[in-house]
Amino acid sequence: MSDHAAPMGAPRASRLRALVAAPEFAPLVLLVGMIVVFTAINPTFMSLGNIGNALAFTVELGLIALAMTLLMTAGEFDLSVGSVFGFAPVLMWTLFNASWAPLPLAFLAAMLAALLIGWASGLFVTRLGIPSFLVTLGMLLVVRGSALWLTDGFPQRTWDAGDQWLASVLVGQVCLGGEGVGCTGGLRLYMSLLWFVLAAVLCHYLLTRSRFGNWVQATGGNPNAARNRGVPTGSVKVALFMISAAMAAFAGVISSIRVSAANPNSGAGYELEVIAMVVIGGTLLTGGRGTIIGTVIGVLILRLMRNGIVMIGVPGLAYNIFIGAIILGMMALHAALERRHNAGT
Amino acid sequence: MDILVEMTGIQKFYGRVHALRDVNLTVRRGEIVGLLGDNGAGKSTLIKVLSGAVPYTSGSIRIKGEEVVLRSTQDAIAHGIETIYQDSALVPQLSIARNLFLGREPRRGPGLLDRMDLDAMNEVAAALLRRVGISKAIPPTTPISSLSGGERQAVAIARAMHFDSDLIILDEPTNNLGVAETQGVLRFVREARDTGHSCIFIAHNIHHVFQVVDRMVVMRRGTVVADDLSPRSSTIAEVEDVITGEHLAA
Repeated sequence: MSDHAAPMGAPRASRLRALVAAPEFAPLVLLVGMIVVFTAINPTFMSLGNIGNALAFTVELGLIALAMTLLMTAGEFDLSVGSVFGFAPVLMWTLFNASWAPLPLAFLAAMLAALLIGWASGLFVTRLGIPSFLVTLGMLLVVRGSALWLTDGFPQRTWDAGDQWLASVLVGQVCLGGEGVGCTGGLRLYMSLLWFVLAAVLCHYLLTRSRFGNWVQATGGNPNAARNRGVPTGSVKVALFMISAAMAAFAGVISSIRVSAANPNSGAGYELEVIAMVVIGGTLLTGGRGTIIGTVIGVLILRLMRNGIVMIGVPGLAYNIFIGAIILGMMALHAALERRHNAGT
Repeated sequence: MDILVEMTGIQKFYGRVHALRDVNLTVRRGEIVGLLGDNGAGKSTLIKVLSGAVPYTSGSIRIKGEEVVLRSTQDAIAHGIETIYQDSALVPQLSIARNLFLGREPRRGPGLLDRMDLDAMNEVAAALLRRVGISKAIPPTTPISSLSGGERQAVAIARAMHFDSDLIILDEPTNNLGVAETQGVLRFVREARDTGHSCIFIAHNIHHVFQVVDRMVVMRRGTVVADDLSPRSSTIAEVEDVITGEHLAA
C-alpha cells in the first residue's frame, strides 16, 4: 500500500528495500519472467491475436478475484462464487427467453438475486458465527442446485443478445488495427476489459484510500480491536459478501453473452482458482492485508500460464501441476517476506 | 479533586457465579488508580463492565456526575472511557496513523467518496509520536507489527490522549515488556495524568504499580477489600498481604 511505502525523501536503498518487500513485487517478477520465457519459446505468445484471446476470459475471473480480495482481507472467503457465476446468467436468460422481462430488467433481477445470496451468506457468518468456509460451501450447493433445477440441467440460449444494447455495453467488441469479422491481424478487445479496469481502480481506491477500506483491513487484522474502536465489523463483512456475489453474477452474465450460452454448470471450480489468484498476488489468507494490484498480477499469472503452457507445447492437462507449484512457491516466498516484515528487517 | 467515575453497588452474575459483589469504585480527575487482586478476584470483570464490554446485573455508574448506561464499548468511548487491552488494542497490519484514527478517520472531499485524509492523519500521528517520545525515526506509516511491545502500548496510550479520553484503563500494560520498555510505558502513564487524564492501572507486578499510581484498590473474591492504600504510606509487603488476605490472619 502506498502509505506504507518508504517516503519520497528516503534514501534510494531504503526505497528499493521497500519495493522488494512489497507483497506485489515477487508476483510481478514471476509474471515478467513467465512472459519472457513463453515469448522466447513461442513468439506468437505476444501476438495481438493471442493477447486479445487471453484477456477475454482473464477479466471474467478477474472481476470475481477483485471482490474476493476485499472479502479475504476482511478475514473471510466465499466458495459460492462459481455457483453464482453459473446461476445469475441462467436466471437472467430464463426470464428473458420466457418473455417475462426485457433483458435490462432480467439483468437487474439476476444482480438482485446475487445480492440476496451474498446477504444471506453474510448473515449466517456474522450473526450465527458459522465459519465462512461452511456457510459458502452450503451456499455453493444451494445455488448450483437452483441453477440446475431452474433449467432442468440444459443451457439457456443467449444468441438473441446480439441486438440488445445491454449486450453491447457489457461485452461489445473493439477491433484495433485488424480486418474483418475475426479482426485478423489486430487486437480484439471486449468491453468487459473496460469494466475490469474500472472495477480494479475502484477496489484499489476502496481498499487503500477510503475509510471503508481501513475498516476492511482492521476487520481482518484484529476484529476485537476494530470492534473496540466502533468499527461495525459485521456490517462490513455482510457488505463484502454482497459485493463478492454481485461481482460473480456480473462476470457470469458477461461470460454468458460472450460465449453465447448460459450453462447452469458453468463456473464449477472457479472458487478455488480465484482464491489462488488472490493469494498468489500477496493477499493474506488469514486476513488483515490485501492488495488489488497484487490480485491483478495474480490473475494475469494464472490465466497467462494456462494460455502459455499450451502454446509452448506442454499438454493442457498438466496445467494444474504448474498452478500447484506456483501456489506453493509463492506461499513460501510470502511467508518468508512476512517473517522478515514482522522482524522489522 | 472532582469525581470522574463513580461505580456504586455493582453486581455481576455469570450464570450462578457471583463475579462482582456490591462493588464500589471511585476515580477522581487526574488520578492514577492501581487495581490489584489475585487471579479470579474480579478485576477483569469490573473493567469489562466499566468499558462496556459486558453488561452488569445491577448497580449504577455515574460519569462526571451523570448516571449512564454502558451497553457497548462504543458507549464507553463516547463517555470518555478508553480501555487498552494488551492484545486487542491495535491492528498489527495497519500503520500507526491508521490505527490511531481507526473508527474516527478524518475525511476529505465529497462524502460519497469516503476518502480518508491520510496526510492529516500522518501529520497528527507524527506529532503524537514525538509527544510520547517514540519518534526516533519511526514514520507514522510504519505498520504496528514492526513495533516493539512498549512502542505499541505507547501508540495505544497516545491515541487515548489525542481523543481526550477522560479515563484511560490499562489492562496489564507492562506484561512481557523489558525493563526499559516498562519504564517507557510508566512514563507515558504519568504524562497522561499530567495532562489531566485519569487512569486505572491493572498489573500483576506490584513494583510497577507502586512506581506510578496515586492510590490502590484491592479486590478479592469479587469484592473491594481496600480502596485507599497509598504507595507513600504502605509497603509492598503490606499490600501483598491485603491481596492474599494474610492481613486478616495476622
